Amino acid sequence: MLSRVADNLYWMSRYIERAEGMARMIQVHQSQALEYAQNDDQLEEFWQPVLQSICAENVHPFEDGVRKIGKTLIFSSSYENSIQSCISLARENARMVRDQLSEELWLELNNIFLFFRNGDAEDIYNQGSDLLLDRISRFSLIFQGLADATIPHAEGWRFHSLGKYLERADQTSRMLDTLNLRKKEASRADLMSVLRCCIALSAFRQQFRGNLSLQNVGSFLLFSEDFPRSIRFCVRAIDHSLHAISGVPAGTFSNEAERLTGSTLAMVNFTNWNQVDSKGLHKTLDELQATLIDIGQRVFETYVLLPSEIKSLGEKSSTQFSQAQQQQ
Amino acid sequence: MSTTSQFKGYTTDNFFDEMFYDGKKLQARAHYEKIFQRIEHLTETEISDRRQQADSSFLEHGITFTVYGDEGGTERIFPFDLIPRVIPDSEWRIVEDGLRQRIIALNLFLNDIYHGRKILKDGIIPEEIVNSSKNFRPEMVGFDPPQGVYAHICGTDLIRDDQGSYLVLEDNARCPSGASYLLENREIMKRAFPQTFGGLSVRAVEAYPDLLLQTLEYLSPRKSQKPVCVLLTPGVYNSAYFEHTFLARQMGIEIVEGKDLIAIDSCIYMRTTRGLVQVDVIYRRLDDDFLDPLVFREESMLGVSGLMDAYLKGNVALANAVGTGVADDKVTYAYVPDMIKYYLDQEPILSNVPTYLCWRDSDRAHVLENLDNLVVKAANESGGYGMLIGNQSTVKEREEFARLIKAHPREYIAQPIVSLSRHPTFCEDGIAGRHVDLRPFILYGEDVEIVPGGLTRVALKKGSLVVNSSQGGGSKDTWVLRDF
Amino acid sequence: MRLYVFHRTSYRYPSPVKHSFNELRLYPLSNDWQKCISTTLSILPICRPQSYLDLNGNIVHFFELPDEHQQLVIEARSVIETRSRVDFENFPYGVTLSKLSKMEGVPEYRDYLQSSTYVEINPEVWRMAVDLLSGSTDVFQTAYQVMEFIYQNFEYCKSTTTVDTHANEVLRIRRGVCQDFAHAALALCRCLGIPARYVSGYFFDSTRDRRMRGAEASHAWIEVMVSGHGWFGLDPTNNRVVDDTYVTLGTGRDYRDVAPVTGSYYGPRPNELEVTVRIKRTDD
Repeated sequence: MLSRVADNLYWMSRYIERAEGMARMIQVHQSQALEYAQNDDQLEEFWQPVLQSICAENVHPFEDGVRKIGKTLIFSSSYENSIQSCISLARENARMVRDQLSEELWLELNNIFLFFRNGDAEDIYNQGSDLLLDRISRFSLIFQGLADATIPHAEGWRFHSLGKYLERADQTSRMLDTLNLRKKEASRADLMSVLRCCIALSAFRQQFRGNLSLQNVGSFLLFSEDFPRSIRFCVRAIDHSLHAISGVPAGTFSNEAERLTGSTLAMVNFTNWNQVDSKGLHKTLDELQATLIDIGQRVFETYVLLPSEIKSLGEKSSTQFSQAQQQQ
Repeated sequence: MSTTSQFKGYTTDNFFDEMFYDGKKLQARAHYEKIFQRIEHLTETEISDRRQQADSSFLEHGITFTVYGDEGGTERIFPFDLIPRVIPDSEWRIVEDGLRQRIIALNLFLNDIYHGRKILKDGIIPEEIVNSSKNFRPEMVGFDPPQGVYAHICGTDLIRDDQGSYLVLEDNARCPSGASYLLENREIMKRAFPQTFGGLSVRAVEAYPDLLLQTLEYLSPRKSQKPVCVLLTPGVYNSAYFEHTFLARQMGIEIVEGKDLIAIDSCIYMRTTRGLVQVDVIYRRLDDDFLDPLVFREESMLGVSGLMDAYLKGNVALANAVGTGVADDKVTYAYVPDMIKYYLDQEPILSNVPTYLCWRDSDRAHVLENLDNLVVKAANESGGYGMLIGNQSTVKEREEFARLIKAHPREYIAQPIVSLSRHPTFCEDGIAGRHVDLRPFILYGEDVEIVPGGLTRVALKKGSLVVNSSQGGGSKDTWVLRDF
Repeated sequence: MRLYVFHRTSYRYPSPVKHSFNELRLYPLSNDWQKCISTTLSILPICRPQSYLDLNGNIVHFFELPDEHQQLVIEARSVIETRSRVDFENFPYGVTLSKLSKMEGVPEYRDYLQSSTYVEINPEVWRMAVDLLSGSTDVFQTAYQVMEFIYQNFEYCKSTTTVDTHANEVLRIRRGVCQDFAHAALALCRCLGIPARYVSGYFFDSTRDRRMRGAEASHAWIEVMVSGHGWFGLDPTNNRVVDDTYVTLGTGRDYRDVAPVTGSYYGPRPNELEVTVRIKRTDD
C-alpha cells in the first residue's frame, strides 16, 4: 500500500481516538469539578494538573474564563487537540484515503464533521454538554467498531489499529499521570475520575472489589492483561500490529519500532507495582510516553519515508528492485 | 385527485426548449412525454423530499468541489437538478459520430504539429498559431507517445442553438473533469424516480470506469505483465479531488500525489509500505505546468522530479500526453473543421460556433466594434474564467476587454452570443427554463469509446449562459433513450 | 442491425522505409442491404488520403508517404446499418443450372465466370465440382452444397496458408482460413457455370458463446448470382447464408481486387504486422 495512505490511516485513527479521550476527560472532570470547586481559583487549581497532563497548559484554555474551559477544549480552533480540531484532522486524513474506507466508515466520520461545521454541535452543547460529549464518545466507538467490521483486516487496517492503540496507550498514561500532578495526595474522587476517563470503573470493581487505592488503580491501568485500555493490553496490540505488517515472527524484530515495542512489552509484562513505586509513577509514565512517541516516529521512518530521504537511498533501492525482478 | 401542474406558468420565451416543442400549449416532445407527466403531477412534498434526499446524499458522500478564491466553505456540492435531460438515440448517434470524427482529427493534428507539421506547411493553419500557443511543449517535438495517441480523455462541450442543432463550444483535451458527476447523478436519479427510469429504455453509463481503465492499461510500456496504473492528483485541496478518489476507487487503482512517486534511473516508482513499485501508466489530473519541476514550473510542489525524462524515454505513459493543450486553445478550436477536411477528407459532422480570431486584423476590428453583441473568451482559460458576455456586461468591463484584446490579440477570441437551448429546471419559484450545455466524455485507447450522453450542465441563474460549476452552474442527469 | 467496426492495421519496420504508396479498401459500401452511416480513416504518419471508385464499384483510398518512417498505422472506424437480405423461409430455389449458359454472354457476369489471379478453372476442379453436385440441378442448392462441402471437409487453421495461396493449393491441402475457403468456393462454383464473386468485409458473431470463425478479423466470403433473384452471400467458413450480421467492404473477382490494405515501399520487410478488428452491435 502507498506509504502516504498508511500514514493517513494511522493518523485518522489516532485523531479519532484522541477526540474520544478528550471528550471523556472533559466530561468526567467537569462533573467532578461541580463538587470540588466553589470559586474560579479553586476551579483553576483543579484543572491545572489535568491540562498539564495533556500538554494544554500553554494554549490559554482559560481565555474565555475557567467556567468555559470545557467549551474551549471542545471547540477551540487555536488548540490543535480540541475535539473539533481532532475531528477535522481525522476527516482530512480520511478524505485523502477515501478509496480505502468503507462507505459506512466515511459517512460516520463525515456526518460528525458536518455536525460540528454547521453549528449543530454547539447548539447541542448549549443544551447540555453531556449530550454532546456522549455523542462524541459514542461516535468514536461506532467508528472503531465499523472499522473492524467493514474494512478488510489487511495492511491498511493494521496501520489503523496501530494508530488507535498508540493513542490509547498514550491517553491512559496521561490520565494516570494527573494523579501525580495534583498538589495533594490523590483523593478517592481523583482515583474514580481516572478510572472513569478510561471507562475502567466496572472492570476495576470486578477485579478489586472496590478496594480503591493508588496502587490498585495504577496496577490495573498499567498491567491488566485483558482490559482493553490498559497500557499492557495496548502495547501488546501495537506489537501484534507491527509484526502483522512486517511479517516478522513475534519475539523478534526487523526494525526499530518493533524493538522498542518489544522491550516496552517486556517491561509491562514483567514489572510489578513495587518496582514502579520505587522508581516513581511519574517517572515511569514519563519514560513510557517518550517511548510511545519514539515508536510512532520509528514507524514513520520505516514505512513512510520522506521523498528527500528516499533520494539519498535511491541507488540502494534500485539495485534491490532489479534483484527482485530476477526472481521472476 | 387534482393537483396543479408543476409546469403552471412555464414559458419557453422563444428559446429552443429541450422538453417542449410548442411553448404556448406546453406540448412535450415525444421522448420527454413520460418525464413530463411524472414531474407535472408531483406534489410539493414529493419534490422537496427527493431534493433533500439528493442534496444530503451528495453532501454525506462528500461529493463536493472546491471553489478557488472563496474563503467561506471551501467545499460545496455541485447543485443537482432533478429533471433529467433526455436525448433520443437517433440524435445521440449523430453526436457520437461527430465526436469520434473530431477526436481523431484533433489527435492527428497533435501528432502532426509535434512531427512533420504538414498542416502548417500546407498553409491550412498559420504556423504562428501553434508556435505562440502557451500550451505548446517543445519537449514533445519528435516524441512518439504510447500508441500514437495524445488526448486519451477528452470532454467536448456541446450546445444547441435556437434551431436545436448541436454545436461544439470547446474541446477540453487537457484534464477534463465531471465524469464522476455523470455516474453519481445517474445513481441518484435511479433512486429518485425508479419507476420512470425503469419504464424507459435508458442507455447505461456505468461502464465508464472500466473503459477508462482499459484505455489506461492499453498504454502500458510493459506488455508482459498486468500494468500498474495510478491516478495522479494535485491533492485534497484540488477542486476536483472528490472526482479523483471516486474514479480511482471505481477503477481499483491507487490515487497518488506527486510526493508518492519518485524517479529512479528514468523509471517511475511509487513509495509503498513494501518498498518501491514501478508505475506503468499515470492518469494525471495535473496540468503540464506542474508535472515535473525539473522541466516545467520549478516551484511546483505537486509534480515529480524526473517524470518527463522517464516519459520521454518511454518507461512510463501519461494520459493525457504532454502538450495536448494546443488542441484546446480556443484559437486552434476555430481550425478544427479545417483539420477534419485536411486529415480525414470529410466534412465535419458537428459544426463549430462561428469564431472571430482577434489576432486577425479584420476580425479584431469587427470584434472591437461589436463587443456588446459578442462573447469574448481568453484563448487558454477554462472553467468560465476570463470571459465577457457582451450583452450582460457593463461599459467598464467592455472597455477593459477592448484594452486586453488590443494588448494581447492572440489571447482572445470572440463568438456571437448563441441563444443556448433551455431546459425546465427546478428554481426557487417553481419550474423555469434555464440554459444548458452537454459535456460528453470521449475515451481514446485502442479505439474511441463514448458513454451515451454525458454531463448536462445548467446555468441556474436566470438568463445566465455560464454553466461552469465554479460560476454557479448545476448539473442534470442525461438520459439517452434507446427507443427513440 | 447497427454495427460499429474498428479495423486497425499496424506495420513496424526494422529500419526506416520511404516512398510508401498504399491503397485501402476499408470504406463499407452502401447498397440495398447496408447503409454506411459514417467511416473515418486515420493514418499515421500524417498524410492526406484521396479516393476514387474502382471498376468493381468499391471505394478506394490511396496515400503516399515519401518521407522516412518506421511505423505505419491505419485505422478505420465505421458505423453501418444492415438489413437482412435473405428470407430464411424462402430461399431462391427453382433456378436451374441449365439456364446458366445464357449468362456467359452477359458482360456484367463474365468476369465472375472466368479464371482470375487466385482462382483457376481447370478440369481437375471441374471434376471435383461435378462430384459434389450429386444430381442437383438447382443453382442455389448447388452453391449451398459447395459451401457445405468446404465447411465439412476443409480444416480451418491459421498459418498454414499465406495471403498468396492459390485456390488450387487450397483444394489440394483442404486447409486454410476464410480467404482460402472463399477462393476454393469460387473455383468450384465457376466451374459449374455459376457466377461467383469474392466479398471482403466483417462479420458480427451474435452467437452466445462466440463460436463463429473470423469474427474478430477481416473476413471474406462469396456471393453467387441467382438469376432473377440477385446476388446471394454464402460463407463457407461458417456454413452460413449471409444475413444482417455481415458488413460488405467490397466485392471483386478474388482477394486481389478487394484486399483491404495493399502497398509498396522502399525498405526492408516489416518485422511486425498487427491487425485488430473489433465489431460491436450498437442498437441493443
